[in-house]
Amino acid sequence: MANVVIDPVTRIEGHLRVEVKVDNGVVTDAWASGGLYRGLETVLQGRAPADAFYVAQRICGVCPISHGHAATMAAEGALKIKIPNNARIIRNIIEGAEMLHSHVLWFYTLTALDYVDVVSALKANIADTYALAEKAGTSTADFGAIQSRIKGFVENGQLSIFTNNWFGHSAYKLPPELNLIAVAHYLEALSIQAEAAQIIAIMGGKFPHFMTSLPGGTAWYPTEEKLDGVLFHFNRVKEFVEKAMIPDTLAIAPFYLDATTYGKGVGNYLAWGVFEDKSMDPKKRYLPPGVISGSLTVADADPKKIKEYVEHSWYTQSETGLNPAQGKTHMAFTDYNLDKQYSWVKAPRYDEKPMEVGPLSRMLVAYLSGNEKVKAIIDGTLAKLGAAGKPEILMSLLGRVAARNLEALYVVGLMGDWIGELIAAVKEGDSSFFVESSETEGDGAGLWEAPRGALGHWMSVKGGKIANYQVVTPSTWDMSSRDAKGVRGPLEEALVGAPIADPEKPLEALRIVHSFDP
Amino acid sequence: MAQDARGEVYDLLAARGVSRRDFLKYCGSVAALLGLSEMYAPQIAAAVESGAKLKPVLWIAQGLCTGCTESMAQSRTPDVPTVVLDILSVNYWETVMASAGSDALKAITETVDKGGYILIVEGSIMNGANGNTLRVGGRPGREDVKEAAKNADAIIAVGSCAVDGGWVKAAPNPAGATGVSEYLASVGISKPIINLPTCPVNPEWIVAMIVDVLLVGKLPALDSKGRPTLIYGSTIHDNCPRRGHFENGEFVEKFGTVEEKKQFCLYKVGCKGPQTYTNCPYVRWNDRVSWCVESGSPCIGCGNFNWVDNDAPFLTRTSNVKLPGIGGVAPSTVGAVLGGAAAVALGVHAVVSGTQGRVGKGGPPETEKAYDRKKAAKGGDK
Ligand code: SF4
Ligand code: SF4
Repeated sequence: MANVVIDPVTRIEGHLRVEVKVDNGVVTDAWASGGLYRGLETVLQGRAPADAFYVAQRICGVCPISHGHAATMAAEGALKIKIPNNARIIRNIIEGAEMLHSHVLWFYTLTALDYVDVVSALKANIADTYALAEKAGTSTADFGAIQSRIKGFVENGQLSIFTNNWFGHSAYKLPPELNLIAVAHYLEALSIQAEAAQIIAIMGGKFPHFMTSLPGGTAWYPTEEKLDGVLFHFNRVKEFVEKAMIPDTLAIAPFYLDATTYGKGVGNYLAWGVFEDKSMDPKKRYLPPGVISGSLTVADADPKKIKEYVEHSWYTQSETGLNPAQGKTHMAFTDYNLDKQYSWVKAPRYDEKPMEVGPLSRMLVAYLSGNEKVKAIIDGTLAKLGAAGKPEILMSLLGRVAARNLEALYVVGLMGDWIGELIAAVKEGDSSFFVESSETEGDGAGLWEAPRGALGHWMSVKGGKIANYQVVTPSTWDMSSRDAKGVRGPLEEALVGAPIADPEKPLEALRIVHSFDP
Repeated sequence: MAQDARGEVYDLLAARGVSRRDFLKYCGSVAALLGLSEMYAPQIAAAVESGAKLKPVLWIAQGLCTGCTESMAQSRTPDVPTVVLDILSVNYWETVMASAGSDALKAITETVDKGGYILIVEGSIMNGANGNTLRVGGRPGREDVKEAAKNADAIIAVGSCAVDGGWVKAAPNPAGATGVSEYLASVGISKPIINLPTCPVNPEWIVAMIVDVLLVGKLPALDSKGRPTLIYGSTIHDNCPRRGHFENGEFVEKFGTVEEKKQFCLYKVGCKGPQTYTNCPYVRWNDRVSWCVESGSPCIGCGNFNWVDNDAPFLTRTSNVKLPGIGGVAPSTVGAVLGGAAAVALGVHAVVSGTQGRVGKGGPPETEKAYDRKKAAKGGDK
């Protein structure tokens, strides 16, 4: 049988094609093809180091904060800048707001439609829906009005964003009432992600693409009025995460427990860590760096162990196996050929191994490094799902989905602390937000995390200008093409073994792709 | 509109949980957005109600970061569910649509065949490697734009990338990016295009344009570069709340100083407000909670054509302002001599042309303005 192709993969950031070989209803091989090359690294050569902050964040409109911060950290590394404590807290809050924004958007807007059948919600009994919401401890809405809104929509025949949908597929498992609750929260989530973005807009001018985390610190000064605004929007987001997103996750998961049995992928996990603690020591980050490779133990993550291969991607073939600090990116399109080159995404390897990055990697690294709060959240959830003491079941499709939502819960807690810390610092009269540097030479790296995973920016500065720039995005790790030895990337590997009930509508494959939040 | 058709519309809206009162309120806020008085609300309502059919939209993604879609998702009045469920039928929008793969792409063909839709393009047109720097559905992504442009009632290029290639086109333009107008002209499609630059686009402008198309059934007034004059008619500098500091010579000289805390003018740390034409200072961002200068950063001129090459280095002054008939004058002097409004009346478009056509990594940074020298002689800035 011909390969099953999803092109374009929708509900993601960017352009992706996925091709799978299906034998007897199971995926036996898979290829992920990134569809876009823009050449940011080349554009930045020769420009001012601070300009990287403004331009590099435009790699990704869903995670511009993380790219902006990584670019700024790379510049600060090169120019030997140590930022003031206030700037650290402000960046943590902005970064945390982006993560909450992104995780809410991901779970409801981007991925929910893989598990939630909107049409089935029409069959829901309204009284039963309220009863179910109460039992699940999730927030209620005007379920009757929402149901008739969908009804009008379906009857009108103009399906808008639901045109040519796959609803009714046998892999949709939720009862109508739970579908209706999820649809209500799907609609509400659109306001909540916007509330999270408003925190960034207050502190960074706008979102997406913010203005204030310049190399040296921050250009933003907190005032009482601005801090009130931050708190106001944060409280709305916090309430939604705690009272809708987490209960929804726990209510939906039991219907999809089969998703703990596939979708694992390479089983190697990498995190650079994110959210600086007062010491600015990366090891003490609120989500720490680390590598998990095949067993349940964490090792230190060392960027020198990265090599990027291009044997199966459209770049100059001689420039392969390079560490990003010396990396090169020159396009050389050939043709779409699964045996040769088939993607714009390179194949980064850590210690020659493919690495999964993202919330699952971060939460596993934090869990295995003994982070108490993360341990409590994960152990509590495992117990509720009847898998107490079995963190390894997280290494699956369902685990990857759940880890992201549990991370949101952890970050909600941190955000409250940081906002308090900032208010206290300002009250105590700490007025340092920015430091200058007169350095004009040096090398730096911003090793950080975007909501979707480990992110690295590398910058060399000579004569006050950028002499080399390289980026390894989370999607480069997760959507990686095969490497020089033909070893599949994390998404490709996770697809192998997945059941496909209907090759015309490969919904299960789509779920796995979305679980990486590409 | 015939009474029965109108009844049908209200049935439809009611079925969607939208009361007539809510609907008129919404139309009032759209009127305000368009710079019209509330009195236009009934007319807007009539236009939106002009049939029981929702206006189809194709939102096509090219060489993008998804930031403009993200920005659209930040629209609060109206919010996104209202836009995509009650006003429009968004038949193709990769980032939010339920469908995937060839079933998704089918929605483009089906909509194009029926005609009568609005085409929105996000991202640069990618021409490198014969169009293969962007591949969608096994072919160059730009083919989708060509196909969708054919029968569109209106074409809107959202964000600087779609307008002229944006940062992706910045020197040396490694992936061969260009804007929608240029691309469509190159394949022999000549249709007027509404250009909405800034990086990303401001969602309020998109909503305003959509309603404008629905309201009057034709394109709004556009300048010679396809930008709606309503939005891009005056400079940021003309409407900036820090303008008073500028006039008083009160500048932030460096970040981390007391002048910064006092919210002085950011011109000396690179603000591109004097050469950038958008209404950011009053439409603001994210449901109007703030905007760039208010957050403490200089405007980086992301609404300009070829903005990265023309405006970088962003934290250095690059403006080189000349007005016809007055000679080379620093913007400070322009303000002092003419006042903001008069400068606009005189056609300050020349300001823009002063920075255009420049190649390479931006213009020569200014060392010192005549205005600054004068100030220095008097004992420096306050
Ligand atoms: S230079 Fe910038 S900060 Fe200063 S008044 Fe003009 S727009 Fe505002
Ligand atoms: S103020 Fe300037 S930098 Fe900010 S969005 Fe407007 S044009 Fe772009």
